[in-house]
Amino acid sequence: MQKDYIHIILADDDEDDRMFFTDAFEELKIGTKVKTFNDGVYLMDYLNAEDCNLPHVLFLDLNMPRKSGLECLNEIKANSKFNDIAIAIYSTSASEEDIEKTFVQGANIYIKKPSSFKTLKKVLSEVVTTNWQYHTNGLNKDNFLLRL
Amino acid sequence: MPYRVYQKPWFVKTVFYACSFVILLVGGITYRNISDLSQASDLVTHTYKINVELEQIFSYLKDAETGQRGSIITNDAQYLEPYYSGRENINNSFVELRELTKDNPKQIENLKELNKLIDVRMACFQKSYSFYAATDMNNPKFKENFLAGKNAMEAVRNKIKEMILLENKSLEAQQVELHKNLKVTPIFLYFVLLMALLLMYGAYAKIASNLKRLKKSNMQLEMFKESTNLSEIVSNHGNWIWNVEEDTYIYSDNLYRLLGEEPHAFLPSLEKFMEFVHPKDVKKLNKAVEKMMASENLPFTYFRVVHKSGKVRHLKAFAKKVVNSEGKTQLIGTTTDVTEEIKSFKLLEQRNHELERNNKELQAFNYVASHDLQEPLRKIQTFLSRLEDKESENVSETSLKYIDRIKTAATRMRLLIDDLLQFSRTNKADKAFEKSDLNLLLEDAKQDLAEVISKEKAVIKANELPNIKVIPFQFQQLFINLIGNSIKYKSETRTPEINIAYSKIRAVDEPKIKKKKGSYHKFTFTDNGIGFDNTYAKKIFILFNRLHNKDEYSGTGIGLSICKKIVENHKGFIFAEGQPGIGATFTVYIPLK
Repeated sequence: MQKDYIHIILADDDEDDRMFFTDAFEELKIGTKVKTFNDGVYLMDYLNAEDCNLPHVLFLDLNMPRKSGLECLNEIKANSKFNDIAIAIYSTSASEEDIEKTFVQGANIYIKKPSSFKTLKKVLSEVVTTNWQYHTNGLNKDNFLLRL
Repeated sequence: MPYRVYQKPWFVKTVFYACSFVILLVGGITYRNISDLSQASDLVTHTYKINVELEQIFSYLKDAETGQRGSIITNDAQYLEPYYSGRENINNSFVELRELTKDNPKQIENLKELNKLIDVRMACFQKSYSFYAATDMNNPKFKENFLAGKNAMEAVRNKIKEMILLENKSLEAQQVELHKNLKVTPIFLYFVLLMALLLMYGAYAKIASNLKRLKKSNMQLEMFKESTNLSEIVSNHGNWIWNVEEDTYIYSDNLYRLLGEEPHAFLPSLEKFMEFVHPKDVKKLNKAVEKMMASENLPFTYFRVVHKSGKVRHLKAFAKKVVNSEGKTQLIGTTTDVTEEIKSFKLLEQRNHELERNNKELQAFNYVASHDLQEPLRKIQTFLSRLEDKESENVSETSLKYIDRIKTAATRMRLLIDDLLQFSRTNKADKAFEKSDLNLLLEDAKQDLAEVISKEKAVIKANELPNIKVIPFQFQQLFINLIGNSIKYKSETRTPEINIAYSKIRAVDEPKIKKKKGSYHKFTFTDNGIGFDNTYAKKIFILFNRLHNKDEYSGTGIGLSICKKIVENHKGFIFAEGQPGIGATFTVYIPLK
């Protein structure tokens, strides 16, 4: 399997977080191409476009204006075209309710935004290098929330 | 007399009929006796009259004889007077006698014979007198005739004697018969009267006892009525009866009061009652009453009434159909003033509403704390870490020191936010209780604390813990907080050692438990840390209460408050005991049930 780069998308309304995200991947140097969107509407517009280059991993912030991460997750899971996208929830909070909901909706992993840049890099590299095709098989609620 | 018969309701009636019968019987017998007696006296009179008449006849004959003799001797016609009147008198007596003896054939026969004999005697007189008129006294025929007269006289005497004897005999025989009857009756009468008296006594006793019972039950009824009246006043309700057939109503005193009226202020009727009903409820109540009339039943019905004073009260009515002892249908109802209940219910509803709103606000706060507060803090921390990594060579020594201070402050803020969040989450009471193996929960808690335990080389010893119904994640948190607390406040000189002991105890044996009922699971957590002054034993469970400066120890003052809350969620108690420099003991009691 030829792998030029890993295509990654982040939808997050927070400018700082988008910056941390792209900075982290720049420093990681694992052949990734990162695209960011300011909210769910922009994201879905991009994904639904005919000639869209679908990402390998999609990072979704939950709390966004106009269209929330949860709404995006619903739409993506309802469309078989997006079956191969691994979805990582990328949120500030890790409330039981949010974890439960996103797990049921079919997200692959839940990441609580770390409070140190080092940890962020570690988390992102872990998520991106996981082979989600295989990982999905062993998916359960206990390892849904990524702990590092 | 068996008591049961005596108590039967038909007893008095039977006794009454029996007594009436006895009295009638006694009356009948007495009447017969009296008529017997008068008959006897009649008989005596009858016999006496006959005898007198017979004697009379004989006396007349003698008078006639004497007169005749006188006239013969003196040859004077004036002596003949009794002889002439004698015959007439005798005839009169005969008429009398015939009347008296008409029911006695033997005496009639005798009377006829007597008549003939008298005729014979009279014929002799006649003959003698014819001799005398010729003054032929020595005529042998006169003598013969005189003798015949004497013989006839003798025969008459004998006949009269015989008749008197016969009359006396028959009187005697009839009297014996009557006396025989009269002899038994007094004893019989006495006996029957005695019986009647006994029965009457029984009936009297029964009536008296019935009366007593009636009086007693009447008194109880009176008392019951009074207590019903009182209870109506106390519980704010009134009773009413609707006589279905007559369409009349009876109201209890308090029902009038519920309408704001004096008892019996008006004649109860449906129309009158409706006048009190709140205009907005008239339609509703009318419908209920229509239903009540049709089905003879009234389910719980709520409506308002307006007093004359303008006061509005809420009433609740309920009725049930009964058939009384006279077979008449009645609807027995009760109406209660529920104004206060409705008021307090509304207040409760309002409070509930407020509480719900407060809860919602708290949830909103939770979200703010968990999300919005964390976000800027996280960014501060991330930027700090970036500064440290990337720019450490470009900033001065002092700046690095400041950066370090900022980092410490940010870490502390994160700790506070996390703990606060946990504290507010512990609030939730709807967490499910599950039968849990506390040994496993303790293991999980140790796992959570693995890093700090290994760092401090802490030793944790525990008894075998039970399998009880708890909220698992909360109980695990309790273990984490208590063990974490012990390690945090460890002694400088000793490696931390925590002993967890478990036993089942009865409340009466534990002086710390105020409620002396039931049994408890008792857990004690003993450490060898720095301990504390016992004056703070209660204070340490209060939110944000800290015994130490935060420079020395990193506590937020929330951890033990969470412990207290968890234990209270399990309806238990937690106590702390400390000895400065030696250690602290935390005791947790969880009720068995």
